[in-house]
Amino acid sequence: MGTTASQLGKDLLSEYQELTFLTKQEILLAHKRYSELLSKEDRNLTSVPMEKVLSLPELKSNPFRKRICHVFSTSDMKDGSLTFEDFLDLLSAFSDSATLEIKSHYAFRIFDFDDDGTLDGGDLEKLVNCLTGKTEDTRLTPEEMRQLISNILEESDIDKDGTVNLSEFQHVISRSPDFVSSFKIVL
Amino acid sequence: MEFSELQRPSSTIAHSYHGAQQLVRLRSKSVVSNQNGPQFNWGSPPSEGGEEGDSGPPKDLRERPMTMRLKRAIREVQQMRVPVVTSWQSWKRSKAKSLSRFRADAGGVMSYVALWRKALHKIGGHFGGGVQSYFIFLRFLVVLNFLSFLLIAGFILIPSIVFRSTSTSNMTVDSTGPEVCKVYDPNLQGLVVFYQYFLDLLSGTGFMEYSYMFYGYYNNTVAESSGFHYNLPLAYLLTSVFYFAFCLICIIARMGSALRVAVATGSGAAGSYSKMVFTGWDYGCQGDRATKLKQKSIHYQLQVDLEEERLQKKALSLTLGQTVGLCSLRIFLMLISLALIGGAFFGIFKATVFSQVQVGAEGILGLFWVYLPSIVITTGNFVVPFMCDQIALFERYSPSTTIIVALFRSVFLRMISLGVLLFTLWSQITCFKDSPKCELCQYNNKEYPCWETRVGQEMYKLALFDFLITIAMLILVEFPRRLFVDHYSCVLTRWVGRQEFLVPPNVLGLVYGQTVVWTGALFCPLLPLINTLKFFILFYCKKVTLFSNCRPAVKTFRSTTSTIFFLVVLLFGWGLALVAMIYSLAQIHPSMSCGPFRSLTMMWSIVPNTFYTLSLTTQDFIFYMGSQAFSIPLFIFSCVVLCYVAALATVYGKSVDLLKAQLKLEGRDKQFLVKQIEELSREMGVPTRDQLDTFDTGAAN
Repeated sequence: MGTTASQLGKDLLSEYQELTFLTKQEILLAHKRYSELLSKEDRNLTSVPMEKVLSLPELKSNPFRKRICHVFSTSDMKDGSLTFEDFLDLLSAFSDSATLEIKSHYAFRIFDFDDDGTLDGGDLEKLVNCLTGKTEDTRLTPEEMRQLISNILEESDIDKDGTVNLSEFQHVISRSPDFVSSFKIVL
Repeated sequence: MEFSELQRPSSTIAHSYHGAQQLVRLRSKSVVSNQNGPQFNWGSPPSEGGEEGDSGPPKDLRERPMTMRLKRAIREVQQMRVPVVTSWQSWKRSKAKSLSRFRADAGGVMSYVALWRKALHKIGGHFGGGVQSYFIFLRFLVVLNFLSFLLIAGFILIPSIVFRSTSTSNMTVDSTGPEVCKVYDPNLQGLVVFYQYFLDLLSGTGFMEYSYMFYGYYNNTVAESSGFHYNLPLAYLLTSVFYFAFCLICIIARMGSALRVAVATGSGAAGSYSKMVFTGWDYGCQGDRATKLKQKSIHYQLQVDLEEERLQKKALSLTLGQTVGLCSLRIFLMLISLALIGGAFFGIFKATVFSQVQVGAEGILGLFWVYLPSIVITTGNFVVPFMCDQIALFERYSPSTTIIVALFRSVFLRMISLGVLLFTLWSQITCFKDSPKCELCQYNNKEYPCWETRVGQEMYKLALFDFLITIAMLILVEFPRRLFVDHYSCVLTRWVGRQEFLVPPNVLGLVYGQTVVWTGALFCPLLPLINTLKFFILFYCKKVTLFSNCRPAVKTFRSTTSTIFFLVVLLFGWGLALVAMIYSLAQIHPSMSCGPFRSLTMMWSIVPNTFYTLSLTTQDFIFYMGSQAFSIPLFIFSCVVLCYVAALATVYGKSVDLLKAQLKLEGRDKQFLVKQIEELSREMGVPTRDQLDTFDTGAAN
């Protein structure tokens, strides 16, 4: 299903155009960049290992890069490798014209570090640490972290079960007008 | 069914991404072991949800968060089931598909044409949305000025050039009035010093004064050739009025989209922590340096907000005496800042009066006197906000309030200082105190033989000076500062640090420049063109200084609310310029020696004069439109529409509240059902979720 051929077929291209939010130029550019990631030896591989994907300049310094690869990867080995179609799914979710629902859905999955379907205190703590930086002097103090997490849960946890589920997350996102423009990766 | 679900690892028990509703539904369905995506109901007909309007099934598929493999499979299934639709519906759907494809292609073409798209993208990636919104605003102003120039060129400039060059069938009506009022001789005779041209370029006098640049050069020609009738004064007036209306429409259209988003998302105060954490990261940030800076700014923002919350809790516990003391301190400091602003206004007034008196001085000193109002205004605009910032340190407002107060003070200062300058000019021209100078021609013809040109010159000087000062600041202050900070490290450089690109003062500078152009456009028709070039060059200069000299702001400016704020401030400037224009059109007697309105007592009177030359039926029709029989029903109708829209808005607000309450109830339902599961499983002797969790974590460790 993924293709490593140097040319994308025309009907494949139009199919991708219908199934993703990407324009024709964006899909062709994605194909070019994806082919560059495959080195000469593994021309027969259908998926690119995670380290190669993380070498893209758009993802290299993103603190959520590993989570993004894990979320969009469909490989059975759960190693974060991406086929070309996974790559297109990634770009489609992060594109200019993707809807708020798609973006908030994938943002939720990216922030769910333990993949249990809700954002609990541990997920939120890891999220804040990613946002502020992993080094010691950029972390929040434990009291500040506690205060912050309790504030977040008080604001967004509507059913008071101690976790933020997808609907509550989407409710918070819908009130923020800048989310669509900041949740964007363009090649 | 329940037992088998509970036996599985907790990660698959109804932890699909649908939430509470699906939890209830899934207890009766078998869980598909596809952990990557939500369930899809294969039994649903493909036409549901995809038929309305222009979104055919393909768009519906794109919006589902599934992997490509799943989406392709669903599409194949959908295509196999041929829905029974009428030929009309299938035609409509195919037309909708081709329309959306055309729109996508057009969007692709437009993105190539859009000005500076790549530069803006790069700025946004490195410095964030706030700084990017400044540059987007600058681009909007460049385009607005260019379109205005095209408008003016088409209706005033080109006809004027044509009539002057052909000089056939011209009718220049001489004005009635005392001969002394008609004297106007702008051409300097004799030899001039070579640098006089440079001085003239800077102050709009000499060779520039009697040119297409200023009002005084245009004649009140009414060109009549075979069947072609062009009334230049009327065109001049109507183009100026339409130019204002055009700018207003552009600003409001731009504000409309931003306001719609802001109103829909409601008040931004509540939920700020979750919003900051969930939506704070900018995924367009590239590069290690930008990422580290963004992380530092988020860290700082969170710390500041948490600290502000702690301070607020402490402030609530202040005693009465302390609150009174704080309030009186704030009032006192507010009075001081108002006094500073008042002092600046007085200085501008005095400088303008003095400058008008000093007309005729030669050389550099003459240039200095001529530029004195601009110098005083610019100095005031630097010094007074700086001192107000120092005062604000003592006021001890919360950080967000401090920014808003500082912004409003700066806006007030800038707009009103321009207003004071205009007021001084006008009072000089029309002899505010009824001195004998104005009795003869109803304006001060001794000092202002062609007063409109003088006003145009003042506005031109303001615009030019503003530009020169910005460039000078760049070269003389910002670059040296960066070199100093980078190459020497002492206590001073560490305290001062690299320049921070502050968005609000820069935006106010743009608004000030645009207001000057609006005020002067009636008297200096080429001013929009000059402003287009000025802002075009400014874009590149600001971009260069941004990337070389600045570090990203630690306090980021929200991009949506800031766009609305910029446009509101721009509207203030527009309002000020409108007041100036209306006063000039309706109150002051036009110069009898120059310009297209020299034969009239009032600029506006060209419109009634032309109106009465129209045919009688047209006159009657227009009178009817203005009469009560037409306007009162129109007014009642618009009131009815307003009430309907207001009622609709209240209903939507109420339904939003109802849905929020329903959301809370759903959550409680979910808790109740989960408790029921646990009770039932306890009765049945099956390990509960918590016990399973501990078992899982124990096994994992």
